[in-house]
Amino acid sequence: MPPWLNEPITWGSALVLFLWAVVFLFIVLGFVTYAIYFERKVIGWMQLRVGPNRVGPLGLFQTVADIFKLLIKEDTIPRKSDRLLFVLAPALAYIPAFTVLAVLPYSQNLYFADLNVGLLYYVALSGISTLAIVLGGWASNNKYALLGGMRSAAQMISYEVPLVISVVGVILLSGSLNLRDIVAAQDGGWFWNWNFLPQMIGFAVFLIAAVSELNRTPFDLPEAESELVAGYHVEYSGFRFAFFMLSEYVYVYAIAALTTVLFLGGWHAPAPFLEFVPGIVWFLLKFAFIVFFLFWIRATFPRIRVDQLMGLGWKVLLPVSLLNVFLTAVYMELFIK
Amino acid sequence: MFNIDFTGEFAAFFVFSAIMICGAVLMISLEKVVHMVVSMAAVFLGLAGMFVLLEAEFVAFVQVLIYAGAVSILMIFGIMMTKHQGAEREKAKPLHEALAAIGALCLFGVLFYAIRSTTFPEPAPFQAGEDNTMAIGELLYTGYVVPFELLSVLLTVAFIGAIVLAKKEAD
Repeated sequence: MPPWLNEPITWGSALVLFLWAVVFLFIVLGFVTYAIYFERKVIGWMQLRVGPNRVGPLGLFQTVADIFKLLIKEDTIPRKSDRLLFVLAPALAYIPAFTVLAVLPYSQNLYFADLNVGLLYYVALSGISTLAIVLGGWASNNKYALLGGMRSAAQMISYEVPLVISVVGVILLSGSLNLRDIVAAQDGGWFWNWNFLPQMIGFAVFLIAAVSELNRTPFDLPEAESELVAGYHVEYSGFRFAFFMLSEYVYVYAIAALTTVLFLGGWHAPAPFLEFVPGIVWFLLKFAFIVFFLFWIRATFPRIRVDQLMGLGWKVLLPVSLLNVFLTAVYMELFIK
Repeated sequence: MFNIDFTGEFAAFFVFSAIMICGAVLMISLEKVVHMVVSMAAVFLGLAGMFVLLEAEFVAFVQVLIYAGAVSILMIFGIMMTKHQGAEREKAKPLHEALAAIGALCLFGVLFYAIRSTTFPEPAPFQAGEDNTMAIGELLYTGYVVPFELLSVLLTVAFIGAIVLAKKEAD
């Protein structure tokens, strides 16, 4: 519980908190803007194209121009849609995406909320976005949107289970749900103390489930262009569409940071003689690598079929992640205790 | 009467109670079933906020995960799969409604008077514990391990039973 909650709140402290939130919001928006640019460039290079290169030097203002286009577009609400929920859904998708970022620690001293159930907080709130996607698809009153929303909910629920269970191994090793304690438990000087080696199975399951949670290729069935037009957001345009896209990329940020924290040792240096470099640099390097990894997967994998998707989630990832929990518990019982 | 410091906790309490009361009132008064489920999800979220204020973080976020997330999505799925065309509309019954309103006001008055006029004993300083999540976990797997396992078995049986029933209908 943050100490300020029990102190008398003044306009000054409220203003400071609010300004920090605004600063962080702008950092995240900057990340999203350039993540989209970077994604298009990387995919372009991997497919032997150039990528965006017209707007501004090296195409750097391409995303800015795209966002501006979305903001000045006409805002259409279909006449037979459920108006209230149609308007509510994009906001409901974005709010949890932004609030989960509160518990992510960036370095020893740079973090927002030091919550003792940080990991649970992340998992719980990210589940609310599923609700927004289903509601958006239903409120559009369009069969493609509804199908997209249904697929999305089914997929996110089926992959949330292995995602959470794959993390249980990490929780067992560090004995805490607090993300800062989890990073602190990985401090051994060398990179093989990070959880991705002791928790190799959990890490693999977590990565696959995370890509699926993000609804990205090869698991982007909710917005499979060739079968569903665009998925749950077919009827959305203008800034409401931008909100859905924004929350998707904010989740890319969140998942990349979470992977860094849980499995790649957070702000720790890979070797003791590299510790003079500040922790935030290591964090950003690992974070950038995960983001690049997500784009790399998107550029190189084909989309899988919807029945294979469910089979993979329930018949492969879930048993494997349970096995990982079991193995970790046995290891802890035999060697640590 | 209102000798209270204006702390962040106080402000948060009012925000959460406003969310809960609005959600509950809307849940009753709205006509479309999906809207009702959304307002109920708002009540669940407000309740989770209340748990955070009571320093029960674990219960709070499990509340978000299970109720606001899973149960709401399950209900929305159920509603989408069934027919939801006609918004239900009941005939207005003015006398009945007036009597119900008077009854509710009386109940509120009695409760309010009773609470205000009672002197509570000074509570012992509350020890939330350093890490109540860990305390819950340890209790669950030491002192309460048998009830916990029995509940797991019960849930598994319910889960398998649901599958069997659904399969019977599909055949």
